Amino acid sequence: MNKEIFVELRNVRKVFGEVVALHDVNFSVRKGEIRGLLGENGAGKSTLMNILYGLYRPDKGQIFIEGKEVKIRSPFDSIKLGIGMVHQVSTLVPEFTAVENIMLGTPEDKLTLPLKKESKRIKKMAEDLGFEFPLNVKVRELPAGVKQKIEIVRALYRGAKLLILDEPTTSLVEAEFQQLLKSLKMLVKKGVTVIFITHKIREVMDACDSVTVLRRGKVQGTLEREKMSKESLVKLMFMEKEIKVNESALPKVELPEIEKSKEPVCVVKNIEVEASEKTPGLKNVSFEVYGGEIFGVASVSGNGEKELAEAMIKPSILKSGDIIINGESVNGLPTLKVFSKGVFYTPEDRIKEGILPDGSIKENVLLGHHAEERFLKRNVFIDWEEVKKVSERVVKDYNVFTPNVEIAIRKLSGGNIQKVIIGRAFVNPIDFLVTHNPTSGLDISTVEFIFEKLVEIRSKGGAILWINEDLDELMILSDRIGVIHKGELKGIFNRDEFDKYKIGLLMIGG
Amino acid sequence: MEFLNNFVTQTMVYTTVYTLVALGIVIAGRTGIFNVSGEGVMLAAASSGFITAYLTGNWFLGFLVGALMGAAFGLMLAFIHETFKVNQFILGISLVILGGGLSDLIYKIVIGVRLSAPEAPPTPVVRIPVISNIPIISGFFNQDVIVYFMYAATIVAYWFFYKTKIGLETRAIGENPKAADVVGVNVVGRRYLATIIGSALIGVAGAYLPIAITGTYSPDISAGRGFMAIGIAIFASWKPQRAILGGFLFAAIEVISYQLQLISGNIPYQFFLMLPFVSVLIIMMIFRKQVEFPASVGKPYSRE
Amino acid sequence: MAEKKDKKVLGPFLRNISVYLIAILLAFAVFSVLVALMGFDIFRALRTLTTTSFKSAFGFQETIKKTIPLIFTTYAFTIPFMIKFFNIGGWGQMLMGGTVATVVGLSLAPLNLPAVVLVPLLLISGILAGGLFALIAGYLKAKYDINPIISTIMLNFVAALFVNFIATAPRFKDPLEGHPITIPLPKSATLPFIGGIPSSIIFAILAIIFVYILIKKTRLGYEITAVGYNLFAAQTYGINFAKTIMVTFLIGGSLAGLGGALEIMTIHGKLIEGFAKTSGAQYGIFGILTSLIVAGDPIGVPIAAFLMSVLLVGADALQRTMQIPVELVFLSQALIVLFIVVIRKKFSVRR
Repeated sequence: MNKEIFVELRNVRKVFGEVVALHDVNFSVRKGEIRGLLGENGAGKSTLMNILYGLYRPDKGQIFIEGKEVKIRSPFDSIKLGIGMVHQVSTLVPEFTAVENIMLGTPEDKLTLPLKKESKRIKKMAEDLGFEFPLNVKVRELPAGVKQKIEIVRALYRGAKLLILDEPTTSLVEAEFQQLLKSLKMLVKKGVTVIFITHKIREVMDACDSVTVLRRGKVQGTLEREKMSKESLVKLMFMEKEIKVNESALPKVELPEIEKSKEPVCVVKNIEVEASEKTPGLKNVSFEVYGGEIFGVASVSGNGEKELAEAMIKPSILKSGDIIINGESVNGLPTLKVFSKGVFYTPEDRIKEGILPDGSIKENVLLGHHAEERFLKRNVFIDWEEVKKVSERVVKDYNVFTPNVEIAIRKLSGGNIQKVIIGRAFVNPIDFLVTHNPTSGLDISTVEFIFEKLVEIRSKGGAILWINEDLDELMILSDRIGVIHKGELKGIFNRDEFDKYKIGLLMIGG
Repeated sequence: MEFLNNFVTQTMVYTTVYTLVALGIVIAGRTGIFNVSGEGVMLAAASSGFITAYLTGNWFLGFLVGALMGAAFGLMLAFIHETFKVNQFILGISLVILGGGLSDLIYKIVIGVRLSAPEAPPTPVVRIPVISNIPIISGFFNQDVIVYFMYAATIVAYWFFYKTKIGLETRAIGENPKAADVVGVNVVGRRYLATIIGSALIGVAGAYLPIAITGTYSPDISAGRGFMAIGIAIFASWKPQRAILGGFLFAAIEVISYQLQLISGNIPYQFFLMLPFVSVLIIMMIFRKQVEFPASVGKPYSRE
Repeated sequence: MAEKKDKKVLGPFLRNISVYLIAILLAFAVFSVLVALMGFDIFRALRTLTTTSFKSAFGFQETIKKTIPLIFTTYAFTIPFMIKFFNIGGWGQMLMGGTVATVVGLSLAPLNLPAVVLVPLLLISGILAGGLFALIAGYLKAKYDINPIISTIMLNFVAALFVNFIATAPRFKDPLEGHPITIPLPKSATLPFIGGIPSSIIFAILAIIFVYILIKKTRLGYEITAVGYNLFAAQTYGINFAKTIMVTFLIGGSLAGLGGALEIMTIHGKLIEGFAKTSGAQYGIFGILTSLIVAGDPIGVPIAAFLMSVLLVGADALQRTMQIPVELVFLSQALIVLFIVVIRKKFSVRR
């Protein structure tokens, strides 16, 4: 590897409204290395790279390529300078084929469309990297891993000498990650420099020659491979934080021994949900959840877990099979009727599906309860007094930081919003909670609070179906874990059988 | 045979109006801007275009002014939408009202109330030697220059969007503006351009009504065609080659409804006049499964 | 603590008012420029425009006469707008309401029914006619995903033709009139004026109260509001989108239909082609403008409708006394809306 510096960012500062995303950042990368850019969510990694790629403009700072200062005003400039970027969310045009996407925006032949000629060139390029993908299929029909390969080829097709990958493993399984590592090594052999953005320490350790750690918009340090270790990296990432850190930097919460209910609260029998181009649906899934139990569901995103959550509260999407709550079938019932049987739900995407952003906290607490007698007068009018009382109790019981229940919920922080969403589920005593990724994107103290609440509900005899992306979290708090892969329930583990490797293997179909 | 000949000839005249407006909506729509201001643009262009043609005695200047008026509205739409992120429908409807008010205002001020309606200079007709004598086919070709302009516009639009890379990029903006931005395409710039050009076409269609079809301007001369063209753009799945088919279909329905009126017999004639409007809805109901929209239509673009 | 609270409340309130003030000033500036270009006296024009409603009893009565139907067409747009849909059919729904009420009134005339029976009957038929007519558009959206902008506008044209049909039908038309107009309704089917003000104002006030209670206090109003806030969350928690679409169009259309029936019964006493227009332009259009001015907030509607009517009365006076075309005022009103919509986005003031 060269010791020559390829790209340098000097004194970069970026402000979004009142938030300083980057404070005077100095960052340089050597030719031919794979540099990791490590940091928690919100540390500023993507922001910094987006500046290099021309999607953002820095408020202060300079960019140097091979020692010469350059002005990058838009991706048009950065591409010309040999910079390519693969974003976390696919930036391909779903309606276009791989070839069309790769040719998009290139400067030659604007007035013609030489698809056949270029297809040959692109195919060769892909093969050189060990990639294989269909050239003439609409990209929206291809899985995330393949789309990523297309985006890498797209960057190289434009002559990228520096390739930036933003959280490339978000939608990849283990096997695909290994493949990616191989292709990165091949790229480096061809003289390409790589910057690998991630928040996962393990990936940095596997893939990178060196790593720069960012925290809250400031560079904490750069380590060479020899100096990289889990401890040194954790230290750089989290330094001043006060958390109960264990091996995986997760909260320590006790799961007391209690007796499960004799009869299951929820029985799911052979349910099937139609597959589509976006999801495998569900095939022949059966399990039971007992009172006093947390049943965790582990899966890689996109394997039918979302359909499982939806089916629980909207059984009308079932193609066949039964869902039985407290001995009664809820097949075909509308959501509010299912709720009335003692069920409630917290959805995965809290902003998009969970709240009414411009609505007051009051209005949000009412959502899902708006057909209940308790909150209605003569079945037509809403008893806002009662709603206000209940909302204030939720705010108190769940430590929601807010001056009152009248303000718009969007003004609350993500953690407080999630607390309202969970609190809303317990406005009435319920027997069965279905919750999907309740802790995603939240800070450690809120995660701890939510864990403690889940345990509390379990202790009172409630049944919880907990669908979660993070296997480490599931292993802390579940009584049993079921694994969903390609829409099928591949296995159920009891707490004393929990084994991260075995569970992970099932998650990717092994 | 005579009847069919006349039918085609008459229909193509109205097809020109519908198609040009639909093309205008399609071109802007392909970059993600859903332009519903067509009706207002047509009125403003009809009024200003007619007045120009009448006062100068020159048909070309009339259409030019109509196109410029359209372009001005397009510029307003693109500017307010992209800069201030105002909802496209609110903006579009406001421009319809603005265009309507403007059109009558200009006419009242410049022409005022007259005993006999002022007449526009004629638009030259093109006669192609051999084809002029083929029955029915000649109906498509014995037309004035603006009809030919419409044919040309359709062909150019199709070639641009589907046979050039620059057209591929422009379509990409409508599907996923981020994808286009990320490869260096100037998203906002192209949106402006597409909306202005599209609106200019709508302006030409608007001016065509008083200058070539009726010969004079009257309030509400557009009679809802600007809105029906939105239906055409949708049911054409935003494809220029289908827009002309849709334009022909709607024009045919309009012409048929006039004919039926004459032979109406016992059914009150008003119900035949309702035919075009009801047909729009029925056609949209039938074809709704086949309709594709550019995925990002309706949303302003910003990077941050 | 109290001082801080006052500042906090006052701040956004002042910002909201200033949005309106700036927009009005800008629009009046454009208006003045155009007036000057046409060679008229700016100050006289502005004075006439804004004060005609208050200078005489007649001016005030005319303003109220316009405010009443305007309130109805504004609500017709506002209710569906709460869930982000555009009901451009306020005019057509008003036409249907008035026409069906007329048909019912004229058809039942031979029965010589008393007013206490006939009036409610006509009002109900107006409400149903407008409501069901709008429901067509609501249904087309819910079931066939047809953009309501297109469907309501197409239906507008259908309604206008229907009015023409009724007003020229041999059974109903008045042979003595040159313009399409029906024979008069029986006296017991009409509503009186009280002190120069149409008694239909009572129903306008009832409508305002109805909308307020509906939106703020009922479960249905909550569901509509929730869908307007976030369709996905509303659906996740059991609110039916299709039902909500249809209900909002039904209610919006019913109000417009009621307004139409009231116009016929109070002002005209018969169906006149063009009755749902003022100064040559549709009440439906002004309803849309008014609704956009108050950003679709049902509570600000009466005030905005009144102020809009002041300008409309002023427009008539300008044309009558100064020969300034009414369209100039319409243009300014459209500009006010454009300015408000833009400025509001720029300085979005929210709770």
